[in-house]
Amino acid sequence: MAAKQAPPTHSADRPEAGQTWRGWIAVGLGWLLPGLGHVYLGRLRQGLLFGAIIWSAFGLGLANDGRLALRDERQPLLTGLQIVANLGVGPADMIARRSVYGELAYRLPDEQARGADEQRAEIFRGRARSGVSIYGTAYLWTAGLMNLLLLFDVWDIGRGRNP
Amino acid sequence: MQSHLLHMLVYATLVSAFFALLVRRTRREQLRLGLTLWLAMVGGALLLAYVMYPFPR
Repeated sequence: MAAKQAPPTHSADRPEAGQTWRGWIAVGLGWLLPGLGHVYLGRLRQGLLFGAIIWSAFGLGLANDGRLALRDERQPLLTGLQIVANLGVGPADMIARRSVYGELAYRLPDEQARGADEQRAEIFRGRARSGVSIYGTAYLWTAGLMNLLLLFDVWDIGRGRNP
Repeated sequence: MQSHLLHMLVYATLVSAFFALLVRRTRREQLRLGLTLWLAMVGGALLLAYVMYPFPR
């Protein structure tokens, strides 16, 4: 019986520590401001185009009464994933929430909520009733998910895997 | 913007441009893939709408 051989290692495939840092910084910048990760890595044209696409989708989402997802205890997985998609665009999501709900809200209040919680729930339901809300919501989710994909791209570029 | 068709066209344009830029490197390849994706999305949606037209709502 042949002895097990260790898998071959390719030192060229292993990124250096500097490349790993570069990847992390690019991912951080790309999340803070969509498109900035590519710009940081020297891909100005790509960064500007990606930024324009994502900001356009995000702006269209807000302009068309897109729902900024709130975690609903009755559907925790689904609404949790929606929040992840929203958060893909970075701090812009938080600014949008403060602007729409008047606070940094991520949870849908229960039926008996009063005061500010009740008001937040009504704003959320009001946007959902709008005739264009489904389009706005799709734009918002798409903007976040596209930026999450970009973070993988800048990670690969930063570590020298995607020349 | 209330037009459903316009939303579909804008959405398809944004998504196809994004993926063309992401997975292709040369301008020519990007244009080719972007156009293919756009036509697939818009054409597919219109075709599906046409097929579904005889069915009651």
